[in-house]
Amino acid sequence: MNIIVCVKQVLDPEIPPAKFKIDPEAKQVIPPAGVPPVISVYDERAVEAACRLKDKNKGKITVISMGSEKAADVIKHAISMGADDGFVLCDPAFDNLDSFGTAHVLSKAIQKIGAYDLVLCGRQAADWGAGQVGSILAEMLGIPVVTLACDIEAAGANVKVKRIVSDGYEVLEAPMPCLVTVSSEIGMPRLPAGMRLMMARKKQVPVWKAADIGAEAAQLDKGNAHTEITGLSVPSRKTECEIITGATPAEAAANLAAKLANLI
Amino acid sequence: MSPVSATYLGIPGYVIFWVMFLVTMGLFLPRAYFLYRLMCLGKQENRFDRIGERFKNMFFVVIPQWCTLKSVTSKDFAGIGHAFLFWGFSCFLVSYIILIGISEGLGLHSYIRGGAFEAGFLTVLDIAGVIVMLSMIWAAIRRYIVRPPRLEISLEAGFIMFMVFSLMVLHFCTESFGMAALGETHGLPPISSAIASYLVSTGIEKDTLMAVSFGAWWLHYAFILVFTIYIPRSKHLHVLASAPNVFFKPLDRKVVLEPIPLEALESEEPPELGVSKIQDLKWKDILDLYACAKCGRCHVNCPAQASGKTLSPREFLRHMKDHLLEVGPGLLAKGSNGNGEATTEEEGKRLVGDVVTEDEIWACTTCGACQEVCPVNIEHIRKLLEMRQNLVLVHNQMPESAQLMLRNMQTRGNPWAGAQSLRLRGDWTNDVEVKVLGESDENPSTLLWVGCTGALIDRNVLATLSLVRILNAAGVDFCVLGEAESCCGDPARRAGYEFQFQISAEENIETLKNFNIKEVITSCPHCYNALKNEYPLYGAEFKVIHYTELLAELIKQGKLKLTNDMNTLIAYHDPCYLSRYNGVYQEPRAIIDSIPKARFKEMERSKTMTFCCGGGGGHMWIEEQHGTTKINHVRMDEVIETGADTVVTSCPYCLQMLEEGIEQKNVKETLKAKDLVEVVEAAMKQS
Repeated sequence: MNIIVCVKQVLDPEIPPAKFKIDPEAKQVIPPAGVPPVISVYDERAVEAACRLKDKNKGKITVISMGSEKAADVIKHAISMGADDGFVLCDPAFDNLDSFGTAHVLSKAIQKIGAYDLVLCGRQAADWGAGQVGSILAEMLGIPVVTLACDIEAAGANVKVKRIVSDGYEVLEAPMPCLVTVSSEIGMPRLPAGMRLMMARKKQVPVWKAADIGAEAAQLDKGNAHTEITGLSVPSRKTECEIITGATPAEAAANLAAKLANLI
Repeated sequence: MSPVSATYLGIPGYVIFWVMFLVTMGLFLPRAYFLYRLMCLGKQENRFDRIGERFKNMFFVVIPQWCTLKSVTSKDFAGIGHAFLFWGFSCFLVSYIILIGISEGLGLHSYIRGGAFEAGFLTVLDIAGVIVMLSMIWAAIRRYIVRPPRLEISLEAGFIMFMVFSLMVLHFCTESFGMAALGETHGLPPISSAIASYLVSTGIEKDTLMAVSFGAWWLHYAFILVFTIYIPRSKHLHVLASAPNVFFKPLDRKVVLEPIPLEALESEEPPELGVSKIQDLKWKDILDLYACAKCGRCHVNCPAQASGKTLSPREFLRHMKDHLLEVGPGLLAKGSNGNGEATTEEEGKRLVGDVVTEDEIWACTTCGACQEVCPVNIEHIRKLLEMRQNLVLVHNQMPESAQLMLRNMQTRGNPWAGAQSLRLRGDWTNDVEVKVLGESDENPSTLLWVGCTGALIDRNVLATLSLVRILNAAGVDFCVLGEAESCCGDPARRAGYEFQFQISAEENIETLKNFNIKEVITSCPHCYNALKNEYPLYGAEFKVIHYTELLAELIKQGKLKLTNDMNTLIAYHDPCYLSRYNGVYQEPRAIIDSIPKARFKEMERSKTMTFCCGGGGGHMWIEEQHGTTKINHVRMDEVIETGADTVVTSCPYCLQMLEEGIEQKNVKETLKAKDLVEVVEAAMKQS
């Protein structure tokens, strides 16, 4: 089973909230100094899903990431988890692409890699959270797509996918090759075990530019973008704290219940 | 006339003597050889270096009985009893060789007996015999009446005490009845003579006296042989294995974890990482199992055990020894290294899960109290950490909290993340005047290694700032790495994630080399231990000191003047990784001593026998077993007992743990926890 996983390197979501700064004029996030970017949490789960499939069915996992050259770190992280190979897609022309542009670059890279049975993406990126690249990519590759998977199983020439819905999950089957976007319900990604950590560290990750994958200039042209950011702001959050007391814990609980009842 | 030269039912005594001896050897030697071969199942390790030093260690520890005397406290002075038993019984051991082996067995009776030598030697034995008997009575009272928590009632111990006591009784019977029969009732040896003179006064026939003496002699001999057979089959194997175990003890560091050789892992059949099965232990670890007499000192000094966790270092060893003896014969049948397909269910057992539980493995804070107090230098922690390595590196089995910490360390270079830290690494440098490496042209060769906790956690940053201001005031030329600093890797190593430690070590050494750092001052004892003792194995060449060492020196040189009166009663909590692991406990006391008007109260458990705060070994992040007391609450009770108004420490983990303890015990009004640097800064003249 040949699996290609698309991963993104994002600003560490664990940074203290006070450290998160944006430039509203340029409509850009200002990365705080000294904080290494990390693999997007959903994408890490896509890698985990790929590793589980590989554990069961054998095969090869290739990881691609569009971003800066630093994205080699997330490729190495995926390799330490169990992926076999990886490429960074980096070119000034790829900067600030919207979901369609990104999907185009990824589709070209996937076509260059060649034979595959399954493409996995995170359900959405942990930074912008648009959740569109996976579906657009499937469209461009001309393959079926199943979104929001919480479990993926190989079933002959098909994959059987448990897909999260609001009140549970539905089970779908899709013929391979296809694309599946992975949701966090799939479970914790593994901690890279033993030797792989050392092996991944030494790995050289090749960088592919626009010309290497044959990306089309028209698709990368910002003028042709399908989306536009009209404004960027940090949501303001206000919390009011009131301590509900009572002479006894039971009384405090009753007071709290009464307070809550009033709020509803 | 001697017992062996007599004839019994027509059989010469010599024949009986040697037949009994050969039968004993026939039972003793194969067992000893079996145990030796079991030991050889363990992996190789060189413990034959620095032989001279090892002999010196052994003689100066075992013979003066420092091994047991070192742990004598006002509450537990059994070590004194052991020392007397050891010295007394050693005299008898010599007598067995001279008086029984050479004199009787080899028929050299006439050369040894009857002279001044005999009189002198028997006098020694008289005294030794009384000492041994008294220590046995004391031991029996302790074991069966006083019942201290570290001892368990066991048939084995009872049998051993009975045997030792009987040997003494039989010795006195042999000697006194014999002397009475020969009428030698005056002079030396004093006690036997006195008994002999009493026996003569009773008017018992001389022949009867002699017969009793001979009978007692043969019984004595038989008991020695039974004891010889019994020793390698019981926990009393300790008498054979202890001295070698002390001989082979680690010489420099308490916990020796060797780097995992990466080349070996790239081979066709990479070795199993860490310890999974009993044969994955090193040979010295198996000798450890033999040396354990289940004295239980580790059991009562273990913070995990004291707080109700399932881990007991004593039981940990016992279970492994039982398992070893169970699967040993099967493993030996497979060849010298015990590898090969397991043929029985027993042999297929992994140590963790089947022999000791995962809970036990994760309960250890690696505080090292067990090893410090162990009279025979058993290395508990290495075994346990290597089991963690196997769990983590091979089976990906670890508590979720450990996984979270390791994940943070891997992706963010520090074990604190998210809600646990409201700062970024370099933030603290904005609040104080300090040279950050790479930001100015000047790069001093002395680096203050702040550590993740001192850089990221608000409370600990206060201590870091104090330390920087003190160093500035004392005119120390130093720099910091600021945001370029990364975790030393200690929490990963203690959690078994060895490769992460290795990566951290290599990267940090590289960074420090690039900046040409010659000396590192650390504020965290865990960083201190890693940088000082563990990094050299990965190529580090810089000198490492803890700030307590530096401040003590600065005060001594007069560069740091503590002039403010501090009307306070201070208790000092020794961090394990500073005092126990590295022997740094005088410096903090010297510093406190030099604070005007500060009074000092020594905690009952202090210096190298300090009691863990609960934060070591990755336990700042790894959750404690549910339904048990928190270790820092146990420690806090001990702090409160001192009556101090300030508890001072010099470790960021300890500080956090103590503050949490104060909060939980509701003693905020009367007790404060401070880092030593904060107290020092307060005592400095504020200009």
